[in-house]
Order: sequence, then C-alpha cells, then structure tokens
Amino acid sequence: MIWKLLRQHISAMQLLGFFLANLFGMLIVLLAFQFYRDVRPVFSQRDGFIRNDYLIVSKRVAVMGFTSSTFSQREIDDLASQPFTKSIGTFKASQYKVSCSMGIEGVANFGTQMYFEAVPDQYVDTRDSLWRFREGDQVVPIILPRTYLAIYNFGFAQSRQLPKLSEGFVSMVDMTVLMRGDGKEKRMKAKIIGFSNRLGTILVPESFLDWSNREFAPDADVSPTRLIVEVGNPTDERIGQYVQQHGLDIDEDKLQAGKTTYFLRLVSAAVMAVGLLITLLSFFILMLSIYLLVEKNTRKLQNLLLLGYTPARVSLPYQLLTVGISLVVLALAMGLLWLCRTYYMQFLWSLFPTMEDGGLLAAFVLGLLLSLLVCLFNVLAIRSKVAHI
Amino acid sequence: MDIIRLEHTFPEVFARQDDLHSEVWRQDVTFEKGRYYLVEAGSGTGKSSLCSFIYGYRNDYQGMISFDGKNIRNLTPNDWVQIRRTHLSLMWQELRLFPELTALENVLIKNRLTGHKQKKDIRRWFEELGIADKLDTPLAQMSFGQQQRVAMMRALVQPFDFLFVDEPISHLDDGNTQLLTDIMVEEAARQGAAIVVTSIGKHMDLKYNKVIKL
Repeated sequence: MIWKLLRQHISAMQLLGFFLANLFGMLIVLLAFQFYRDVRPVFSQRDGFIRNDYLIVSKRVAVMGFTSSTFSQREIDDLASQPFTKSIGTFKASQYKVSCSMGIEGVANFGTQMYFEAVPDQYVDTRDSLWRFREGDQVVPIILPRTYLAIYNFGFAQSRQLPKLSEGFVSMVDMTVLMRGDGKEKRMKAKIIGFSNRLGTILVPESFLDWSNREFAPDADVSPTRLIVEVGNPTDERIGQYVQQHGLDIDEDKLQAGKTTYFLRLVSAAVMAVGLLITLLSFFILMLSIYLLVEKNTRKLQNLLLLGYTPARVSLPYQLLTVGISLVVLALAMGLLWLCRTYYMQFLWSLFPTMEDGGLLAAFVLGLLLSLLVCLFNVLAIRSKVAHI
Repeated sequence: MDIIRLEHTFPEVFARQDDLHSEVWRQDVTFEKGRYYLVEAGSGTGKSSLCSFIYGYRNDYQGMISFDGKNIRNLTPNDWVQIRRTHLSLMWQELRLFPELTALENVLIKNRLTGHKQKKDIRRWFEELGIADKLDTPLAQMSFGQQQRVAMMRALVQPFDFLFVDEPISHLDDGNTQLLTDIMVEEAARQGAAIVVTSIGKHMDLKYNKVIKL
C-alpha cells in the first residue's frame, strides 16, 4: 500500500538512465580489472619457474675475452647492497663433462654434450617435492630451456617422423645423463619437470650440483658467472644505470616484460578510473532522480510520517528500489563480463596455450563491493533526505 | 498521556499583535484526558496552527507546550512516532488523505500501523456512515463530505488519549454529523480519551466540559 503511494511520479526514463550508466560503469570497471588479471600472467608469469621480479645478471663478454667473466665476492656484495636489490643468488656451473641422450620410449636417441647449472632453490618456483635431490637418488630433476623443445620438435622429430612433444608430455621423454670427471663416470636418469624461457641453461637442484661437483671435479674453481637478483621493481631506472656502469648484462626480455606489465597496469588503471567515474556519475543520476521523486512525493511522505510511520519505513521502498536496480546491474554486468571474457580468452588461449584460467571470482567480489558501496550511499542519502522532510 | 499544557503560547506571526483577545494565545491552557473541549474560532485566528503545534509538525510558536510536563520541543522523531501511534490522534481540516488509494485503504494504512481495529469493525463503520458502497472507490472520486467521514475513521483506528478534530463536519448535513459524532464519542469513551473539537461555526453536539474562544 505504501508502495502504491510512493511509486507515483517514478520516472522510468530516469531510472533507465541510472540503470544504463551504472551498468556501463560497472562493466568497464570489471572488464578492465578482469582483463588485467587475465593478461598480466602472460607478461609476468610466462616463465613458470623463474618469477618476474628476478633478473639474471652476467658480465658483458669483452671482445677478446681477457677480463674475468666470473663475479668476485666483492662485486656480489656491491650488487647486493644496491637499493633495488631484495636478494641475490649465484649460478653454479658443473665443472665436469656431461653428455646426455634423449629419445622417446627407448627409440631413436639423440645425444649431445651439455652442462648443468644451479641456483639456490628459493629462486626456483616449483613444488618442493619435484625439485629435490638427495645423495643416492638415481633420478635428477632438470629444467630445460624451451628452445630445446623447439629443436627437438622442429628439427629432430620432424626429420625422423617421430611424434612431436607438447609440454604436457615431457614425461614421455627418456633422458639419460652421463657424468665424467676425476677418473669416475656415472649414468643417471633425468626427469624433465619443465621448460623455461628465461634461463638459457640446463637447471638442476643446487644439492645435486654441489654433490656432483664434489664427486667429479673436487678441485675446480666454482666462482659464479651469472647472478640471479630479486628486485622490488623491474622497471626501476637505477637497475639500468648500475648495469651500464659496471659493464653487466641483464636479460633484456625480462625488463621489456616488466615495462609491458607496468604499461598494462597503467592502461588498466586508467580504464578502471573511467569506469569508476561513470559509476560515480550514475550514482549522481540516481541520487538526482530519487531526490526529484522525494520532492514530488513530499506531501505523501509527510502525511505518512504524520500518521506515525517511521522515517525508516517510509524510506524503505525507495531504498529497495535502488538496491534492487543495483543488484540487477551487478548480475547483468557479470553476465556481460563473462561473455566478453569468453570472447577474448579464445584469442589469449590460442596465443598462450599454457595460460592458466584465473576465473571470475575476484571480479565478482570487486563488483559486489562496488555495488554495496553504491547501495550504501544511496540508502543513507535517501534516509537523510526523508528525515529532512 | 494525561495532560497537555500550553503556557503563554502564541504563533510567531502574532508576535507583533498586542491586541490579541484569545483564551488560548498568550494564556495558560490545560487539556485533560477524558474531557471534551470545543475551541471556537473565527477564521485566521490560528485554529489549524494550534493543531499543528500540538501534533508536532510545526514549531513556529513562542511559549511552551508540554505533554505531562515534558516540553515537546525536546521530543525526538522516534518519540513523535510513538506519540502519533498511541497517544495523539488528529483529524486534519484538509484531511490529508491519499487520493491514489481507495477509501478503505486510506483507513487501513493507519490501522495496519496500529492493529487497533478488525477489518470487519471498519466495514461496519462504513455501513453506519452510509458510505459502504464507496469502500473500494478511489478517494479522488469521492465528495469532500464523504472524505471527511473516511478521515474520521482513520483518526479513530488507533489508541489515543487525546483526539483533535479540526473542522470535522464542515461539509456534512445534520444527519451525517450525528452519525459521525456517535461513532467518535463511542470510540473516545471506550478509550477514556479527551476530544478537542475546533469549529468556526457549526459544531458537533457534544457534552463539552469546556468551551474556549480562540
């Protein structure tokens, strides 16, 4: 009955205006947010094993190669003390001869000379149970450069009519390593746990490298040739300057990706700001519309209050109206978001097949928060407007 | 609530009038529960202002109005909600009904708040007042006299200690006036409440305890 009274003078056009403005604002905010979340891993976590904010630093190779390419402890300490450095680890290289042979289920081996490197386990982003070696183990986990997979697929397998391997099927690869040094020789199975773009090297657990160096090259010098550096912000200018001054090399790709991520964040933030602005404007449209409604219905509202209705009870219909609209907007925005996302994710997946699906939950939570905020402001504004009749 | 007291009260618009000859304005007046009052007034003497001051929706007056000794300027909005539901009832001269609702709905909108009367009691009133056929008629289609009867019923569907009726019978013939008076007095007596009737001429035939010239 109250509703029958108070729905008088409700302007469908004004509510439609709010509805559309709120919907677009919400959709833009959520879409920017979701897109950022979906695309960011492409730049920042493309390499599953080495995180984005780790830089790999080596010495620039001089033309004639006279200067030492290893890092002294003093140089490491200096880099560690730089403000952009969070932590630092060294690459260790195998000091003995390694050769390996690879094939599928025992067929058609191809072999090559190679080497091992290791970084402290904390820099390798994988499950501990996979990345472990204890003396006496007969299998060693390794991470290969992704280019190896390409070499195998497009060079080796192609010419021998062997099946091509996808990353998911690396466990099918039989890999045997043969280590020789200090008059000893040992053959071991290797288990490929993944491929990395960032490390142009064959990575083994540090514990394995320490053990094998002791075993096959007890006297060799193990000064590091490369460092792995965790930095707070990969786009920090000081990194570039330091590297320049000290004649170092860092993997440029990484910095590029860092910059791209930064740019992506900037663009997403700008788009989200526009979305928020539209949401804010839509809120004002609704506010104006409700104020107008309250003005037009002032007499009715006043009479209801004089009959003994509480301001809360009289405000309720308008509050429910706005909350209802907001919830419908949220539901619709989520639906549209889902549609848009399904569309663009097809492209992303075709470009980056290994990308993980983060889901819509975070966007939903954000949308819900935004809706609640808009509702809360509306509810309070209506209440105070009615209280002032 | 047992006593409504006006102490040296007068509307601010009268502030410059020194020649007020009123038994209410600038005087001390007391309304007591259970008694019947007639406030007689010429037009423009502030009859409706008196009702609106006491009912708490205007406060452009000087002096003090108190309920049981409590200054009504100190009442909170919540206090007013309670008072309007359970202690004070007012039938406005301008009625303040809702033209969008039917006659019955106009009464029910108050009764729903107080739960004071059964729906069948309200229907019986409609019959007694001769507008049973208008139950479901939108109020906007009813004459002012018929609307006055609806407004009276709405004023009666609540517990009250004081019932103020502002010009309740201006558009009613004598027969309908009597019917309306009977229903009003019956309900007020049942509740032991006071009735304050204002009138500029024609007035309800009641056993007034006091007649006050405004």
